[in-house]
Amino acid sequence: MADDTTAGLHRRGFLQRAGLLGAAAASPALLAACSGSAVDEGGDSAAGSPSASASGAASASEEEGPSASESASASGSGEALRVGLLIPTSGVYTLLGESMRSGFQLYLDTNPDAFGGRSIETIEVDEGETPDTGVRGAQRLVTEEEVAVVIGIVNSAAALGARDLFDESQIPLIIANAGANDITGAAASPYIFRVSFSNRQPNFALGQYMYDEISPEGVFLIAPDYAAGTEQMAGFREAYEAAGGTIVGQTAPPFAQTQDYQPFLAEIQNAGAQAVHAFFSGGEAVTFVQQYTQFGLGGTIPLLGSGFLTEGAVLQGQGAAANGIRTSLHYVSDLDNPRNAEFVEAYQSAYDALPDVFAVQAYDAAQLLDLGLAETEGDTSDMATFVEAMASVEIDSPRGAFRLDANRNPVQTFYLREVVDGANTYVQDLIEVEDAV
Amino acid sequence: MPDVGAFLSDNAVTILNGLARGLVLFMIAIGLSLIFGLADVLNLAHGAVFLLGGYAAVQLAPDGNGFLVALAVAALVGLVLGGGMAAAVRPIAGRGHLDQALLTLGASYVLAELASLVWGDNYYSPLAPAALGGATQVLGVSFPTYRLAVIAVGLLIAVGAYLLFERTQLGALVQATVADRGMVSALGVNTSLVLAGVFGVGTALAAVGGVLAAPVLGVRPGIDSQVLLLALIVVVIGGLGSIRGALIGALLIGQVESLGVFLLPELSAFLLFGAMALVLLLRPEGLFGAPREAAG
Repeated sequence: MADDTTAGLHRRGFLQRAGLLGAAAASPALLAACSGSAVDEGGDSAAGSPSASASGAASASEEEGPSASESASASGSGEALRVGLLIPTSGVYTLLGESMRSGFQLYLDTNPDAFGGRSIETIEVDEGETPDTGVRGAQRLVTEEEVAVVIGIVNSAAALGARDLFDESQIPLIIANAGANDITGAAASPYIFRVSFSNRQPNFALGQYMYDEISPEGVFLIAPDYAAGTEQMAGFREAYEAAGGTIVGQTAPPFAQTQDYQPFLAEIQNAGAQAVHAFFSGGEAVTFVQQYTQFGLGGTIPLLGSGFLTEGAVLQGQGAAANGIRTSLHYVSDLDNPRNAEFVEAYQSAYDALPDVFAVQAYDAAQLLDLGLAETEGDTSDMATFVEAMASVEIDSPRGAFRLDANRNPVQTFYLREVVDGANTYVQDLIEVEDAV
Repeated sequence: MPDVGAFLSDNAVTILNGLARGLVLFMIAIGLSLIFGLADVLNLAHGAVFLLGGYAAVQLAPDGNGFLVALAVAALVGLVLGGGMAAAVRPIAGRGHLDQALLTLGASYVLAELASLVWGDNYYSPLAPAALGGATQVLGVSFPTYRLAVIAVGLLIAVGAYLLFERTQLGALVQATVADRGMVSALGVNTSLVLAGVFGVGTALAAVGGVLAAPVLGVRPGIDSQVLLLALIVVVIGGLGSIRGALIGALLIGQVESLGVFLLPELSAFLLFGAMALVLLLRPEGLFGAPREAAG
């Protein structure tokens, strides 16, 4: 099933572009028509058939869904709580989605008696890779599956696009990745929680360190020319300039189109940069880091950045080129605290892999739900009360305990990590970051 | 009068890199261009073959050893796939571009999906052969040795293809088939075989290009469509069915993507399509394309 949907999703952007090109090259109407129909097809399959899996005592099948949900929202402790897990299982974020599922499931498996006595029934829906597929997935969970809570969402635009849906239907959404500042800023809602990060945070945390320890001047900024890239760079600039640093230049390669960063690397060299602060993720992070070394910048201009530059699956792709890169993030798997030691051990024995930040975020999303339900003793009949209960808890995360600000965004400590022998290792605490509300 | 020498030495790395990019693009575009010129088929499966070439490098030469084996296997697989495509499009020859586009697009989905089943959604970055691993001093600047090798191989293939087409009987036969297939057929030549040969060799070049590009661009799902898009732009700029056009178009796009982006970083997202639009405006048939009576 997942593989069927992959085809449609991978090809969507391509079809649109190939249609455009084909139009120029040969037969406009024909290819355009072909592109249009395929896009629709991709869209339909992207909404996907959800897969339900029961955990704990719950064994309700999909058909029983609506009734289970009605009784759930009518309160009833003991009834299974329907939780929508909205994560990418197709498209470019697939690996990220897998980490999130693992983290979420680990919390359910290791806390069978939690959630205020309620059992959890998980309904997983594919977020896909575009805002459209993500919003459609959210609509499906809320209107058709009638879930009580939704957890997940990788894509920021999908989270913003689904904002009104959750706000108006008063269904809590716990975001386990999407970083757009506005989600807990201008577009904040009492029903929307975030246990991951805002784009500003990891970069803001690095500004003072860069000034004190790397270079008080001549830092060059580089990130893709889309919303997340812009917000990430702005966060760094804010802190670095406040510390007294001067930025020597900034450039923004086209997002999802750039295969070769050499011209941008030449720009960095020509600007006389003393250090580079970068944000890339996914395949772009692999290409950028490798070419940074290939063109000789690796040994001469220190490369620092937002933690996503070296997080998760990209690190294997980067290989030796990633060694020595220092980044800022709210998690690193060798963080020295008892909660993390316990978490890493459980994660490794369950999945035979080290957890990444995406796994921790989904784990904490489940934990936030648990803590909220514990406050209300499993009662979700009054959603307004339930979300206030969730907003006031302190989350004992493997990343270190954190709380949520008034806009339900984490107030959390960031860590400096360095890639040593192909693995992120803890260097030191940076600062605790709290966004303005 | 600006100092051209100083400009060239200041930007040597960028220009060289554009040359390497352009020559990789040429290897993909030449097949696309010839197949269109000869068989009137816009082969949208070309990018997927490039991707398979990349996975050949991942599978057979992840650490750079066995690179030649990967090249040979990719060429062979490309040859077979190309021959297969030639056979597949034969029954629908003359049924217009839509049917061909659907067929070749379908083939590209199948190939990319099979690759995804085997190699997953991971990002791979196979290493260059150890002998070409470091950097070399060229024109007073340090440049990755492997990319110099890509330039050398690309130039060899370009010169070889040019000589083959312009100086040999085989090339004359192919050119004649492009010009008037019915006449060549009437002379007793099996034009289907010529067609299958061009399909096979053109597709093999795309697969070889995939292997060569793997240590530079990495290998991941989706890169097939990015590369196909660039190759289509090259073909549009250079003109359909022209080797010279494919080469000049590819070198031009290579420089647009390197020197152009470096000089005008804020316009980098528009340069590619700007260059294409300009060519279409001034010479709709492409720089070296024969004027066509009506757009197909």
